[in-house]
Amino acid sequence: MAEVSDAANAGTSRSEEPISDFDPKSMRKTKPGLKRLFLTLSVLFSFVLGFPFLWKSVEIYRAPLPFREIDHLSARLDSAPLLFPCHFQAIFIGFNSKSSASADDLQSAISDRVPKLTSQTPHCDYTISVSVGSDAIRAVDFDRGDDEAVDELLESALGGSAGERKVYSVVVVNRDEDVRAVVGKYRHAWISGRVSEAEAVSRVAEIFVKVFVNGGKEEGLIHGEFMPVGADGRIVLSFNLLNADPRDGVYYDWDFQKIEETVLAPVIDALRPISTISVESQVLYHTPKSSFSYWDDKWSSYIFSTKELPFFVNSNEWHLDTSVAAGGSYIPSADEFPLLLQLPNGEVSKTNGFISPMWGGVIVWNPEDGGEFADSKHPVRHRISHQDLEKVFEVFMGQLRQLFGLKSDNVFVGASGASRLLTSERGFTLWELDVLSRKHTCFNLHSCATTLGSLSKLVQSLPRMIIMDEIGKQVHYSLEAAKLAQINASLGVSDASAVASRQARSLAEDAFLHPSIMSISYYSFEHCFAVYSPFFLPVTMHVLLAALREWRRYKQENRKYLAWKTKVNKAS
Amino acid sequence: MACKIRTLFDSMAMAALFLFLGLSSFCNCFAYGFPSSSSSSSETTMHTNNWAVLVCTSRFWFNYRHMANTLSLYRTVKRLGIPDERIILMLADDMACNARNKYPAQVFNNENHKLNLYGDNVEVDYRGYEVTVENFLRVLTGRHETAVPRSKRLLSDEGSHILLYMTGHGGDEFLKFQDSEELQSHDLADAVKQMKEKRRFKELLIMVDTCQAATLFSQLQSPGVLAIGSSMKGENSYSHHLDSDVGVSVVDRFTFYTLAFFERLNMYDNASLSSLFNSYNPSMLMSTAYHRTDLYQRRLEEVPVTNFFGSVMETIHTDSAYKAPSTKAYIRAEIKLSPDKPVTDDQSKTTTNSDGLDQNSDRKPSDQACPFTRLMSSFNDKVQTVEEVDSLVNYGLVTMIPLLLLATLL
Repeated sequence: MAEVSDAANAGTSRSEEPISDFDPKSMRKTKPGLKRLFLTLSVLFSFVLGFPFLWKSVEIYRAPLPFREIDHLSARLDSAPLLFPCHFQAIFIGFNSKSSASADDLQSAISDRVPKLTSQTPHCDYTISVSVGSDAIRAVDFDRGDDEAVDELLESALGGSAGERKVYSVVVVNRDEDVRAVVGKYRHAWISGRVSEAEAVSRVAEIFVKVFVNGGKEEGLIHGEFMPVGADGRIVLSFNLLNADPRDGVYYDWDFQKIEETVLAPVIDALRPISTISVESQVLYHTPKSSFSYWDDKWSSYIFSTKELPFFVNSNEWHLDTSVAAGGSYIPSADEFPLLLQLPNGEVSKTNGFISPMWGGVIVWNPEDGGEFADSKHPVRHRISHQDLEKVFEVFMGQLRQLFGLKSDNVFVGASGASRLLTSERGFTLWELDVLSRKHTCFNLHSCATTLGSLSKLVQSLPRMIIMDEIGKQVHYSLEAAKLAQINASLGVSDASAVASRQARSLAEDAFLHPSIMSISYYSFEHCFAVYSPFFLPVTMHVLLAALREWRRYKQENRKYLAWKTKVNKAS
Repeated sequence: MACKIRTLFDSMAMAALFLFLGLSSFCNCFAYGFPSSSSSSSETTMHTNNWAVLVCTSRFWFNYRHMANTLSLYRTVKRLGIPDERIILMLADDMACNARNKYPAQVFNNENHKLNLYGDNVEVDYRGYEVTVENFLRVLTGRHETAVPRSKRLLSDEGSHILLYMTGHGGDEFLKFQDSEELQSHDLADAVKQMKEKRRFKELLIMVDTCQAATLFSQLQSPGVLAIGSSMKGENSYSHHLDSDVGVSVVDRFTFYTLAFFERLNMYDNASLSSLFNSYNPSMLMSTAYHRTDLYQRRLEEVPVTNFFGSVMETIHTDSAYKAPSTKAYIRAEIKLSPDKPVTDDQSKTTTNSDGLDQNSDRKPSDQACPFTRLMSSFNDKVQTVEEVDSLVNYGLVTMIPLLLLATLL
């Protein structure tokens, strides 16, 4: 077309103005046409305009995550550890003190002593009150020697008045008898006997700190707790009855249903705020242990030394689901009956049981009638009697408590004397449950904060990773639950706080372990480039080239026209 | 004019190329750039349990030996005390049921055919086409679909020691999965980093039996990781011997000598990791076993092999039972009946019955290099002769531009 129009232009110019020095190679008389340039440029512009749409369409969806709040949560947990409000109440009876000033003195004395007893940061934000003489308590008869009854009376007199706030009370009764201290199964303790005020103060402070706050454990244990709690805060207890070698025709069985209803159900109920516990059971046969014992005449039984205990569990024959907490009751074979565990000091074990941290526990149970393994032809099915089973489950309870990091010897020996700890039929006393609940809440919140922190680091380090809305929601809810747990903790609603913290942790875990986050599917920029460049690169090349060529042509033609224009102007 | 345009486009193309390279290096940075904060916590926790992830990544009959390697390791760690529930076994192909297997449902790692590795109680968690890079990384990082059962998950915690054994065909910084995809050293390092971040292990031993195995863990940077590979960069890992009855090589050299070491041990032995690592003789292996210890804190002389290849439980004696006032408890508890019903999980077991044919076999040792690696290395050698690979690539791109222009002008 260009040539045609050029020729036409040349023809017209020749006919109109026959200027001799018109050079058709470097001049033209008409303005160059814009049509071709316009067309190519419009194609180019449509490409340029389409680019944002393409960019938008290949964009990676990332749900907005509250990074700042996550940082804020971990910073807050680091700077200000979770403190549960606790109220310590000391009641002194029988001290011939004169006035209320004495109560104030005692209070300041206890307040002085309490911080000295704790080395690590306590989970309690405590307040202390002291009263001297109390009508409600006077009615309680400390004389009878029935500690359970005294405990119940104290609970009825002191408990239930404080609402959600945890009130721990110690009653000191000065009377003419030997000093004894008892810690009840609720949140009360009492010391009775000939005690001076100074002695009473130190004992009261010790009971507050060492028992009610720390749960009667020594400080400085490495881990303290060995319970395998699932990411969602669930615990599965699997009880197994293992018949080592029922070759002799004696099969042992148990009535697990009944024992679960009577012994386990109250325990599970008590632990509900801390964890949801489910129970399963099975009876296994032909499950030998994997190490050998030897006969000892002194005990007239087979002895298995505790040094060998790591090799007791035969994981290839004991088909326990080891991803949950397992308890095994092991019945030894006739070849090595009775089987006793020997402690390093030469004594035999009273419980005949041991635990393995993060796994569970094993009890070796020697049936009483086991000596006469019947040589009858028919297999005999023995059902373990309820009394025996209760004894076994007492040891199981001890092991469960041990896994939770609590001692079961019912005695607390402090620096200023021993106290008796009453036991609860629910397996855990109220103050022990408080300790566990506080510990678990703190642990859950910390775990939630670190998990969310890891997630935010991961997400920020991979800017082209897809983040689904679900993850955003989970993070959001987790943060909310964590906040709720903190608020509840500061208000002293420890059960609600424990539940919320569990929820926060499990949501954080879910978000971190969301199956859509996979390093293999990170859609990198190279990938994007490689996918789309074959579609657009060749065409873009042509469009750009055409636009450029047309632009150059237009400029050249325009120059020709201008040259002719100047010539005409000069001439005229 | 054409010349001018060409130079213009040359410079444009080069600019685009630079942009691309710059971005790619940036991408590599953030793939393994997140800081670890949890390094200090691992020292305080106690070692409580052992896990093993055993992976065979190759398909096809001629890779029989890789499955045999993995099953041998499986047998060993089970014998030394890791329960089946804590072993994740991934086998990319089923040699036992291969039509070319003269001994159906049996797998041997020695031509004497004394030991059937595919006997009772072999629980394969991921088999056949389930063994993919994606599933492997999901197992490591714990990001599973909700439908995946517990037995297929690595449910380790901060007290866990994990053994990760991998065998297959590998090359410089990659391991081939299933003939179709690759696990890159970056992917592995990234997964390990995330495991550390989530406190899924206390210590991790990575054992790799492939060609150029040492390159696979070159990108690792998480503390608590110990790695050993059968060969250095540029070296091949060879098979140990050919079983003329089965018709293929049945075991790799590195694994063979590892097993030879473990056959002398039982659960109670205290042999250290350094004695295992020193037992590899380069002249027998025909490659150099390389172990990387810079991320590992403990001294190898003090670490028993059973810390990774077995499971020795920590135990604490129970001192006392918890005696509750039982009479009252009985009455109170009778009222409340627990709604919980005992649930028992069936453990699926893969058992195969073995009806073996016994045949004598001649010993005919042979060395077989991976054909894949041979190809790769020959290509590599050719590339090595060129001084600068980058400039070669750039020249290639530049030469493509005139072609493109030619097409445009035509």
